[in-house]
Amino acid sequence: MNPFEKIFNYQILSRLEDSGTFMITTHERGWLKTMLEHPAASEAFLPETLGRLQLMVEQDQTIDRDGLLHKAASKESHVYHPYIRPLRKAISGKQLLQLSFSMKDGRISLKQDCFPYKLEYSMVKREWYLLWYHIRNRMLMSTKLQKITEMEPQAHTAEDYESLASKAATLLKKRSSSATIRVVPAYNGELSRILYAFSCFEKEVSFDEESGEYTIRLFFSGGDIEYVLSKTRFLGKRVRVMESGHMRRRMLESATKALGRYGQESI
Amino acid sequence: MARESFDKEIQFLRMLALTSGAYNRQQYAERLGISVHTFDKTIKRLKEVVSAVHQQLPEDKGKEFAQTMRYSYMDSSDPMLLFLFRAKSLKESESQRLSLLLAAMQDKALTAMELLDLCCGSMPADLSLPDEKTIRGDLKYLEQVGVIKKETGARPFRYQIHNEMVRELSHEELLDLYDFVDMMASTQVPSVQGYLLRDGLKKHMARQPEADSAAAPFLYKYNYYSRILDEAHLFTLLGSIRQRRMVSFLYFSPKKDTSYASKNTNPLFERDTEGMQETMLPIKVIYDHQYGRWYLLGHHPGGAIRKYRIEGLTQITLGNEVAAELFEARKLELEQRIQHSWLIDTGKPVKVRVRFFHPGLGIPDFVRERVLLQGQWGEIVEEEENSFVYEIEVNGTIEIKPWIRSFGSSCAVLAPEKLRQEMIAEWKEIRAYYESI
Repeated sequence: MNPFEKIFNYQILSRLEDSGTFMITTHERGWLKTMLEHPAASEAFLPETLGRLQLMVEQDQTIDRDGLLHKAASKESHVYHPYIRPLRKAISGKQLLQLSFSMKDGRISLKQDCFPYKLEYSMVKREWYLLWYHIRNRMLMSTKLQKITEMEPQAHTAEDYESLASKAATLLKKRSSSATIRVVPAYNGELSRILYAFSCFEKEVSFDEESGEYTIRLFFSGGDIEYVLSKTRFLGKRVRVMESGHMRRRMLESATKALGRYGQESI
Repeated sequence: MARESFDKEIQFLRMLALTSGAYNRQQYAERLGISVHTFDKTIKRLKEVVSAVHQQLPEDKGKEFAQTMRYSYMDSSDPMLLFLFRAKSLKESESQRLSLLLAAMQDKALTAMELLDLCCGSMPADLSLPDEKTIRGDLKYLEQVGVIKKETGARPFRYQIHNEMVRELSHEELLDLYDFVDMMASTQVPSVQGYLLRDGLKKHMARQPEADSAAAPFLYKYNYYSRILDEAHLFTLLGSIRQRRMVSFLYFSPKKDTSYASKNTNPLFERDTEGMQETMLPIKVIYDHQYGRWYLLGHHPGGAIRKYRIEGLTQITLGNEVAAELFEARKLELEQRIQHSWLIDTGKPVKVRVRFFHPGLGIPDFVRERVLLQGQWGEIVEEEENSFVYEIEVNGTIEIKPWIRSFGSSCAVLAPEKLRQEMIAEWKEIRAYYESI
């Protein structure tokens, strides 16, 4: 299978778009057939749809993955969740919900007014979250779909919806955060590895030719700071946090406490 | 040299994606081992593809291309780098013809002669008109890539577009299909074909009367989006494994500064390539979820196991087939050697013991959760009130070390002693970085 088939050419693609033509190649059907073998397929489709899809790709070859191995992946807790369908509908249908969910301490939070805006899958936790705005508490929330116990649509006007959407957008903007990380020049030889490790973030890289220093500026949501810190610890002495002060203090705290674990309290 | 030209584009896009804006043209060109002129030419070509694929993109006159390519999480549902796979060049007349043929076969089944007439009637005046042989050749190609189907029946044969998928599924079903394709392309590998399908479905659904204007509400957090660049080589390599064939390539170790050497046809500009010409028997392709990188592992004719980063492979060609017995023996040996590799290390196995500490009373135990989620085949062997001991046998400690370190003060290495000492030394260095606060 050659992923550079001429049928995928960009000019063909834009002409087909103009003429309103849908085409699908044997490559794509083969991929779909492979993915339909994943347990998620039986949850993502109604049984009749799944049956029809399987029939449609019957003649195609699945992708041969015998030679393919995965390493260092998190265990997949799920790829699809039964709440995806109703929540996706609620979001694209601009609905508000009343959400009940169990909290970290095990208590249930009942019928909270909810403005749902995105469904987010974490490649680290390997599960789905609902991102929503808590109308009464005026807070942005992220709740595991596993933790949702009940949801019901809630009556509202279009104006209500738009005003909540703009409130959530303002909060999201406020919550965005950034960090500046310097590659310690002695480790420039490992630049590729370091950049790969940060390639899952929005980022800007700058290079000072004179000093040979690479500086990476990461942009992330404030809620992700723990993950950025864990990535930074992951890379260890190869990188150094320049900003923010809070992150630098956290790194110092980690190093000091970690040394404490080894009985190395004194400097 | 189509193959070579994609090597260049892949290296090019990878560098842009990873270093996002770090270099100027001159610096990029130097690192890619190409001239500034070639750099500009490649940028121009890629821009052409990008603007055709993403029609909504503004004219980016003053904007740097790298900026256009910048990954933005909230808009991450359309993978920017996918356009690479749309870059195969095609003559204007051929792309016109193929699109006309497909559009015609969308509504009804037609014969080659009917299609010829239709094509001759609709081709722009400045392009040469096709003959019957050309049309038959096109139909053969389209049938081969599965886009059209020959109807059963007597001659002359009729051909129709093979897209029952969208014609027979209801809008609701298509939505479910779109969501599934989106999720699988984003969370599984390989994903390129899935993203291509997703793209087609998305455009198809936007044309439907029931279309809702809202974009699909899915986000994928901490995904390594540049992973799809290496899928360009994936199928060649998986194919060679299936056919037990040797491969040859020019290898550029990612640790070197230059990552691509152009194959100059003008002898005046010929210079030594810095890559290494390698021949080996591929056995496994490994996707490393920790960094989003790909590796090729296999056997060197000299007898040793060889490991390559797929991003360093260029000019791959398939060689001879080896005997099934030999291949199986090599495969078995390799599988045993990497059974305990955290990633790909085939060094000496060592038992690593780490004590992890619970975060404290009343705080959910995210440490234990994470160890269970990411600790691969390691096991929790002792549990105490405030801590637990995790044990794993791995080949060497280099690859597991960053993972252990990422837990910060929530853990301490118990064994081996050497790793314990290394950790202490590293934390001391890290502490020194921040002590002046």
